[in-house]
Amino acid sequence: MPSVVVAQMVVSGALMGLVYALIAYGFQLTFASSRSINFGQGELVMVSAFVSLTLTLHGVPYWAMIPCGMLFGALMGLVIERTGVRLALEQKSEGWILMTIILGLFFFSGAENLWGRDDRPFPTPIPSDPIHILGVDVTPLELSVGVGVLAIMGLIETFKRRTLLGKALEAVSTDRDAAELMGISARKSIMLSYALSGAVAALAGILVSPITTVGPTMASALILKAFSVAVVAGLDSGFGVVLVGMFLGATESLASFYLGSGWREAPGLILLILALAVRPTGIFGKAVIRKV
Amino acid sequence: MKFRLFPTLVLGLSTLVLNGADTVKIALTGPFTGGSAPMGASMRDGAKLAIAEINAAGGIQVGGKKMKIEVVERDDEAKNERGALIAQELASMGDLSGVIGTVNTGICLSGDKHLQEKGITKIICPAAGSASMTQWSKAGVKENSIFRFAAHDGIQAQMVVEEAINRKLLKVALMYDSTNYGVSGRDDMKDQIVKQGNKLQVVAEEKFNIGDKDMTAQMLKAKAGGAQAVLIWGIGPELAAVANAMAKIGLKVPLIGGWPLSMSNFIDNAGKNGNGTLMPQTFIEEPITPKAKSFIEGFHKTYKVDRIPSPVSAAQGYDAVYIFAAAVKQAGTTDTKQIKLALEDLKDPVKGVIATWVKPYTKWDPADVTTHEAFRREQTVMGMVQDGRVVFGNDADRQRLTKAAMSETKGQKAAPKAKKK
Repeated sequence: MPSVVVAQMVVSGALMGLVYALIAYGFQLTFASSRSINFGQGELVMVSAFVSLTLTLHGVPYWAMIPCGMLFGALMGLVIERTGVRLALEQKSEGWILMTIILGLFFFSGAENLWGRDDRPFPTPIPSDPIHILGVDVTPLELSVGVGVLAIMGLIETFKRRTLLGKALEAVSTDRDAAELMGISARKSIMLSYALSGAVAALAGILVSPITTVGPTMASALILKAFSVAVVAGLDSGFGVVLVGMFLGATESLASFYLGSGWREAPGLILLILALAVRPTGIFGKAVIRKV
Repeated sequence: MKFRLFPTLVLGLSTLVLNGADTVKIALTGPFTGGSAPMGASMRDGAKLAIAEINAAGGIQVGGKKMKIEVVERDDEAKNERGALIAQELASMGDLSGVIGTVNTGICLSGDKHLQEKGITKIICPAAGSASMTQWSKAGVKENSIFRFAAHDGIQAQMVVEEAINRKLLKVALMYDSTNYGVSGRDDMKDQIVKQGNKLQVVAEEKFNIGDKDMTAQMLKAKAGGAQAVLIWGIGPELAAVANAMAKIGLKVPLIGGWPLSMSNFIDNAGKNGNGTLMPQTFIEEPITPKAKSFIEGFHKTYKVDRIPSPVSAAQGYDAVYIFAAAVKQAGTTDTKQIKLALEDLKDPVKGVIATWVKPYTKWDPADVTTHEAFRREQTVMGMVQDGRVVFGNDADRQRLTKAAMSETKGQKAAPKAKKK
């Protein structure tokens, strides 16, 4: 019994942790190319989920809704880049921090006024009846989250390594000035990274909504954890977020079982602090060589 | 026509000066948006239905003339600080006859003191947390202008524990959310388990936070302990997360808990996993009596819905207005302090949709909060979720209420019969 219970908890927690990982991945994408992140990422997740819900309620089939929702997310990513980030980056200021927070607040108020403040169910054709695998109960819905997260991350990572455009993105991430000298437009690369980040946020919203319901505050609990996952994994670590995310999710689950649900977040966060103390650039981050 | 139009115009123009001179001003407060909105908005809509009926009949007979009810609406967004601000605003209005509303126990704790200080009569509806009334007995206030019209947690916890014992269960898991409401509900349930003879063994006691989505760990603990029922105290979507987690890990035991389990955001988000969930109710949306039928139909038609988001809140809001109106009539004035005295000693029974209320309140006694509580055990029934609706959980309740209503229409006294079970 205990080993099965532990397995159940680890699996449930880790699948939830993959959602943190996906949102954390959205942070990484923009940080790699522009050294900036969208602090309104959670609101982007939420607004995209609401747009996708609206599409579904207007009769758009589930599978067609996903690309539409992601396209919306990508567009919003571009909007954030243009209005909140670009100017600040050009002036080498840290204004993007405040700007992205403000844009997030706009999204939040917009969602409250457009869709109301209620938590709403998100219809999905994926069944939520549990299936039994090796003594562990998982719902296809949870599995779909795992599959979706890994698929989109795999796709984007392949894109970055195998295509010319992706390599340009990597080049800008590695050394912006050198890349510009080679004729790569850093601005366009940053735009691309924000669009990708937006699409990833939208997908995270679509995947998690059937489990968590859709509401203006749906992402507030997720975003803080996603941020710590991103920082601990290292803001340029790629797949590192997957491991850290799953680890955090599983620890939360185990802690709430063994220590009591009041201590749910504590062990994971303590481990994260320790990890940061040992490796300030993140567990999977590259050591920064500072040239003087 | 001209003759009647003129005074109306003058009245309209001078409302700022003469505000309330010819109306009974009642404030309705509650969360009309946000997670608790199904309760707040249903309460408001039920209350406004009653107000519309009263106004259509010319208003309330106050002293020598008929006065219409004027409504002041305030959305507290279920936020304690908003609630406190609204209470301050209402307390300073001067011409307010009374307040009906508040869904969240926390807001009763943060706001009601302002009304109490000015002696403004308030009927709490439908907040059920014990603390909203015990704060006055603990403070030992001599005169209390705060009344409650809701099945308070004491009654509800009693019923929840009773239900588990009636089903011959031995081991239960307690789940509660980390708010004032959840924690005090847990304490009430534990008290009741002791009071009812310690027949239930608590095998797991688990809490969850507002916004938690994954309850697998808590439910696994309940399952590992061999729980035969999950007794739960919480609000809204988190309850649905619990029902879904139970289904996921195959914990097929009854989920029994406080009345928020009847809210649409539980029923909708839990879907079929919510079926069979039991909770105390003061009103079931089934037209079993003529009065209930006309109320349900009226609500559906007026607000263009086919299901009342929170039938309990709507019915309580409706009855609370009628009780308040009866007090205004008896007091013969719009003065809130006189209305309070009348409420404590209502002479005539008030026919409501939940029950016929005979002397719902008595003179406040700090040692006994039930003096300002309208509901007793017999006005509450066990409801059960079934395919997106709340139905009677025990058929005996339905028969009892139908019988009571029938004997009432025959002109007999219903109260003794209702008290039997």
